[in-house]
Amino acid sequence: MGTKRQITEYLDIDLEKELWCCNRCGYELISARENYKKGCSIYIRKDLATIYNSPLKGPFTFAPDPTWAMLVEFYCPACGTMFENEMLPPGHPVTHDIELDIDKLKEKHLSASTNKK
Amino acid sequence: MRPDPKKLLEWIKPSPPTKEERECMKLLQPGDYEIYTEKLNNFLLESKEIFIKLGVSSMLRSGDVVTGIYTPTGDMVAAWCGTYLHAVVGQLPIKFVAETWLDEPTVGCKDGDIFYASDPLYGGIHNCDQIVIMPVFNDGELIAWTNAAVHQPETGACEPGGMPLTAKTRHDEGMLLSPIKIGENFRLREDLVEMCVNLMSRAPRMQAIDMRARLSAADRLRQRIVSLAQEKGNDFVKGLFRRIVIEAEEGTRRRIKEWNDGTYRAVTFMDIVGEKHKLVRNFLTLHKKGDQIIWDFTGTSPETDSPQHCMPHALAANIAIHLMSYSFNDLPVSAGVLAPMEFIVPEGCMFNPHFEAAQSNSAPSCHGGMTLGTICMSKLMFDSPQRELVAAATGNTGVGVLVSGVNQWGVLIADFLAYGLNSEGHGARSDMDGVDAFGFSHCPTGRTPDIEDIEIEYQFLNLLAKLNKDSCGFGKNRGGAGTEIVHIVNYVPYALYNSHVKGSKIRNCMGLFGGYPPSTLPGIEVFHTNIWEKMKRGDKDLPSSAMQLISERTIKGDYKIDSIFQKTHVMENGDLWVVFSGGGGGYGDALERDPEMVMDDLRREIISHWTAENIYHVAYNSETLEADVEKTEQLRQQEREDRKARGTTWAEFEKEWSQLRPPEDILDYYGSWPDGKKTREIIRL
Ligand SMILES: [Zn+2]
Repeated sequence: MGTKRQITEYLDIDLEKELWCCNRCGYELISARENYKKGCSIYIRKDLATIYNSPLKGPFTFAPDPTWAMLVEFYCPACGTMFENEMLPPGHPVTHDIELDIDKLKEKHLSASTNKK
Repeated sequence: MRPDPKKLLEWIKPSPPTKEERECMKLLQPGDYEIYTEKLNNFLLESKEIFIKLGVSSMLRSGDVVTGIYTPTGDMVAAWCGTYLHAVVGQLPIKFVAETWLDEPTVGCKDGDIFYASDPLYGGIHNCDQIVIMPVFNDGELIAWTNAAVHQPETGACEPGGMPLTAKTRHDEGMLLSPIKIGENFRLREDLVEMCVNLMSRAPRMQAIDMRARLSAADRLRQRIVSLAQEKGNDFVKGLFRRIVIEAEEGTRRRIKEWNDGTYRAVTFMDIVGEKHKLVRNFLTLHKKGDQIIWDFTGTSPETDSPQHCMPHALAANIAIHLMSYSFNDLPVSAGVLAPMEFIVPEGCMFNPHFEAAQSNSAPSCHGGMTLGTICMSKLMFDSPQRELVAAATGNTGVGVLVSGVNQWGVLIADFLAYGLNSEGHGARSDMDGVDAFGFSHCPTGRTPDIEDIEIEYQFLNLLAKLNKDSCGFGKNRGGAGTEIVHIVNYVPYALYNSHVKGSKIRNCMGLFGGYPPSTLPGIEVFHTNIWEKMKRGDKDLPSSAMQLISERTIKGDYKIDSIFQKTHVMENGDLWVVFSGGGGGYGDALERDPEMVMDDLRREIISHWTAENIYHVAYNSETLEADVEKTEQLRQQEREDRKARGTTWAEFEKEWSQLRPPEDILDYYGSWPDGKKTREIIRL
């Protein structure tokens, strides 16, 4: 589709539909004016030893302290690609990391006849 | 008289060109700009070489230095980097001298004068960083300034090593020099040198020699600029300098303008405050509009009674490391790059504390900010012609390992063991893996010191030094691996050691687009070892990696597994400890990594078999390391299905997540939860 812009490794914005889409499978996530994370499948990885193998046990290992940090993983609900992850202290709000000026983006890439609402 | 923080921050940007400079620019003929810009770079290269060859302290020898050229008003024209941050802040003491001392009858400024500075309140980073400044006169006219700066690993503070973790105010931090005239007629004044050397009584020799190394570098640069002015005329030099600054600014604005307007945010966390493990937050909201970028650090945790602070200009200078080594790396290293940048750093946050605050740990306190800068800039640059410059964060652990005492030659030393410092992993990029053991987070060109050199100069034997397995952030492209080194106290009865390395609890390095952040770094120490007996006997079971050290324990002794972050303490002869440097962040989903590259990582011992199987989900023959591509795809498809099965909707996630909270006792310095607002006053004595 000619109206898609690839914004990250895994996310496109469909400018006409104003939607975040998976770059790998095309799944339409959520409005491009929203935080794309709200349209993802989300997993809280509480046991970080599942990523960081450590022969050490106890309070200091090669994995972050589970009381200090958890990994929040954001997947494509359709194809399971991991779009992004965040290492956060438990309960810390997820970051709205990309908030594009959609009107400007449309202006830049769509033909002059496509006017913003 | 002391410049306020707002003024210092403003000073990192170039001043507007004067009418005279604009006239002088017209003297440049076609080709002159290209030829003479390169000539300046050669001058810088020469001065850097002189600097490194003459100094003694380890960061200096590793090349973690800067030499720079500035306009008469103090705008950065060109610098050898080296430490980009020092190039940027190098402007500030010059601007202070130019504004304050030039016409002050008791000080003044003439050919052959030498100025010296180290106080962050006058534009430095932290008081370890000593800068020499020289005016450049030709035919009686001030046409430029040169400088040379490097971190001095002793300041006469309340602890050895210049970065005291116990400092509560600036009064605990040793020598803090506002810009002073320290020499005349091209010679240092010995009475003032003696004052500095006397203050550095833990490592007087290093101070005495490195001061002269700085001066020699700055003076060689000065001589070269004088000869250029004699050949081409003062006006030509002034025109050339201004043209460089303008080219950088115009190039920067042009590039920013092409990028998508929008707001980009990132958050990261640091796990140390003072000498304690406590959680603090760094937050960046980056606004890009037109040809301007606004860096807003609102939401960063408040100032504390620790030395983990920096001033806004120091934060901006550390951000500039990314700008000058990635986003605008092809433009001149000059103040022009900073012209389109605005910085919002709220008063009272750890990046803008009260002037009495300790800030000797300023540079390592900026690592979170540096991570945020790289991540936000990468998200901004992905949909642009600069996609190849998109990267996850550099290790940013700041491997400050400081030792002191008397070395095997009977000389007092207080210095970094700079191997880990200069061998962090680079962030993975959009099109390639991060560089293993790439350098120093503040200085991409820094090199690890030679292992044999360390042993000749210092009272330590290095049992092993290599890449640290599984230290990289995993991903489609992996972060660069960090390193591990084991130091043993040798020759002398004891040595003092402390470590400022972060990241035992949570790392402030981030992956990008589904790439994982790198592993945490534990501290490993072994006391009362039998290492010398083993070596004398010729035992063949000495460990060849940190992992082997702790898992097989063939070296007998008292093992202590703790934080990598350590207060100053005594290590006796034969005691040993491990220093890890952090790996870089990963890029992209690990399930997309080419199985062949995973096999290559195994061959090179960058990752373990556990990681190949559990993170990359590769099927392979563990003997021959041949990947089974088809089976791998099946395993990966299964993992994708598992993800979908365990993932929840946003609403379900929020319901569970909002109930969680870190333990209260780690939030003492965090500020209000979760937004990091100031909750109390810090009273400093
Ligand atoms: Zn998808």
